[in-house]
Amino acid sequence: MKTKVVTILTLLIACVYVTTAAAAGGNEEVESLVFPASYKAMSVSNGGTISGMVKFDGTAPEMKKLEITKDVQVCGKTDKFDESIVLGEGNGLKNTIVYLTDISSGADFPSDAKYEIDQKGCHFNPHVRLLPVGKRLTMINPDRINHNVHIFSSMNPAFNKSQPGTRRKMNVKAVKKAEGPVAVKCDVHGWMKAWIAYIPHPYFAVTDENGKYTLENVPPGTYKLAYWQEACGTNKAEPVSVTVEAGGTVTQDFTLALK
Amino acid sequence: MKKQSYNTMLISVAGLILLLAVFPIPVLAQGKQAPAASEEGKVLYEDKCAHCHGVDGAGDGSAAENLLPRPRDFTRGLYKIRSTESAQLPTDQDIFDIISNGMPGSSMPAWGEILTENEQWQLVAHIKTFYDGFEDASPRLIDVSDKVPYSEESVTKGKEFYTNLGCVDCHGVVGRGDGTSAPDLTDEWGFRTWPANLWEQWNYRGGSTTEDIFKRFIGGIAGSPMPSFISSFRLGLTDEESARMNELELKMDGEGLSEAEEEEYAGLEEKLFMFEDIMLNVEEGVELTPEEQTKLDTALKPIFEKSWHLANYVKSLGPEERPQAAVGDKVLRSQYREGTLPGMNDEAWNEIKEASYFPLVGQIVIDPRQFNPSIDSVMAKSFYNDSEIAFLFAWDDRTKTLPQADDETGETVEDALAIQFPVKISEGPTDPKPYFIYGDRRPVYLWSWKVAEPSTVTEMNAKGINTATVQSDQSPIQAEGVYKDGQYQLWVKRSLITEDKRNDVQFAPGVFIPIAFSAWDGANGDVNTKRAISTWYTFVLDPVPSNKRFVYPPLIALISVGLLFGLKSSVRRRQDT
Repeated sequence: MKTKVVTILTLLIACVYVTTAAAAGGNEEVESLVFPASYKAMSVSNGGTISGMVKFDGTAPEMKKLEITKDVQVCGKTDKFDESIVLGEGNGLKNTIVYLTDISSGADFPSDAKYEIDQKGCHFNPHVRLLPVGKRLTMINPDRINHNVHIFSSMNPAFNKSQPGTRRKMNVKAVKKAEGPVAVKCDVHGWMKAWIAYIPHPYFAVTDENGKYTLENVPPGTYKLAYWQEACGTNKAEPVSVTVEAGGTVTQDFTLALK
Repeated sequence: MKKQSYNTMLISVAGLILLLAVFPIPVLAQGKQAPAASEEGKVLYEDKCAHCHGVDGAGDGSAAENLLPRPRDFTRGLYKIRSTESAQLPTDQDIFDIISNGMPGSSMPAWGEILTENEQWQLVAHIKTFYDGFEDASPRLIDVSDKVPYSEESVTKGKEFYTNLGCVDCHGVVGRGDGTSAPDLTDEWGFRTWPANLWEQWNYRGGSTTEDIFKRFIGGIAGSPMPSFISSFRLGLTDEESARMNELELKMDGEGLSEAEEEEYAGLEEKLFMFEDIMLNVEEGVELTPEEQTKLDTALKPIFEKSWHLANYVKSLGPEERPQAAVGDKVLRSQYREGTLPGMNDEAWNEIKEASYFPLVGQIVIDPRQFNPSIDSVMAKSFYNDSEIAFLFAWDDRTKTLPQADDETGETVEDALAIQFPVKISEGPTDPKPYFIYGDRRPVYLWSWKVAEPSTVTEMNAKGINTATVQSDQSPIQAEGVYKDGQYQLWVKRSLITEDKRNDVQFAPGVFIPIAFSAWDGANGDVNTKRAISTWYTFVLDPVPSNKRFVYPPLIALISVGLLFGLKSSVRRRQDT
């Protein structure tokens, strides 16, 4: 496909907001991501790659074991831990969002992608879910027990629906505005917690279990690169500048410490 | 034949048009609309509302700190009580109704008694300015037109849904708000919140009509853990198809499905998702085709029907009005009973149809105070015989809290109850009673019960709020306390007369004896003076029914009959002469 513009997706976002979304995570204050004022989707043929590793600075704090207070026969099969800091090889920090703050045109989201959160064993997986604006989320409940899906949005309408054991798969309506990360909770099982970031463009990545991330198919240019991590915060006030060349690869690592 | 049915159709259509002309179809009414926001509304808001809800509507007024539930933060557009679907804004009428009626069980008063209708609408308009989303909102209403009337059958069906859909997780097996998830609930602002005790319908924030309950079930309570349950059912599947899906899912998790079964399952899933897709389109604001609309309406019908059953069940749980306090003709009367007094689980207690109701409030006289008590009443029944008196007390508490360190203060908290009597019963209405919180120079006599020792009641005396001391000489008192389904029951038995007449109250028939209560809910941080209390009430041992009732009435009857006969014969004699 050599036609330049395949789709033009104009996402209206009030402005580039750098405000703190209070209350989005319950009683905690959560830093929000930075989104461009608008984004144009087009085909990218000569994109480059940004990749790297997010490392945790210092000794790994002990992961707090969560108390399983109900449905123990299902939820208690495996131990559950607080996932705000999860470290892998070489102190690689999982669940960090790395993204471009100022890109205004680039690739569209893959059309066939599925966006799911599994609740198996009363634990949300993934812990940080990227969800494109306008796409539906599928909540999976394989345990035949009652959950409720409570999404603490504030830009978009807050969401709270029951998902009993008879609803193995439940689709959740798409939202209109970029927002987040917002907390997802199950009130039935108070320890269950995850994050959803409603994103307007595909240049967001979540680090894997070893802290690695990759942003692919980035149109050549110079961008600002930022991170968000639940316990370590964000560098959005002073993002890193990266220059991507056609077909090239840029490496950008981050080292994060607790807030 | 064909012609006949055509005629019938014509007549029906004509009839329908006529009917419509006379009785228009009840259109889902948005109710009245608020006027444009005005300076008057702002001034009124700042005068009446801002103390709790804050000048900017963020729920952070100066009084907010001490309130539970917290005053609402209007800046996020989350309204608990709505006639609209899940994740929708309220109608103007919804906001007006809350201002006008208040929110029972919270600090929100009913302004309808204080402000004019016009003023209340001005407030609605001002409150809406705190959230941008109102500007172009046209929230979708919950359809309440196909209400299922209340019946035993409907209640029975509703109970099944109550149990299976997960209501029990928070509201508890019988609905007292004591579910296993209840102790960990917070709202979207991180504040502690409790599921409703469904027996106390007078505390339902948005009213307790069956329609109100239905709307909360379908629409959820925004900002709270209460979700919308519309998603609980498999939209578009028949009961048979849904049951088959259950079967296949069970098999899928066990031995696995055959190829044919896998195909069958996929077919059912596809059907479900086809209907879900229409529903999600509605939620996303996509216009439906008339066919899609008909499909959705047809699929929702049985779901609404089931939800009405659920609402009828919840409605059946308790009285609409709070019971009257134990004064006047509701006063606690200990009933005389010959022979042994009934024990804790004796059916004899059911002979007393209605327990006497003692309302409690937070203790706010002395620090530490309890501004948000979680125990709001104690109920009591009593029997006595020639030598003993027995009480059966009951009070609702959402959690059983054995002695443990409080999360905030670190102090040891636990559930407890104290029943208070004056040591000396006052001679008459002018003779002052001891101070209602643990007495003054006039001492009180206490029965102290704590959850850690459920079969012990300790006798204490107090001469002031912090002066309770355990008696060195304990009279023999029998007690038994149990916790079940969100309620404590405590049975206590003591002899009417004790040896320690200086320190113990003495019970005698026909005398009005003051009684008061203190209750501690450990999970609510209650300890020492931080607790729920009642004022003084009185109770009475019904006078012993006298044996003379078997003597005098027949005697009088006999005399009357004798007199009549005498009169009759004297008249006859006079006539004879």
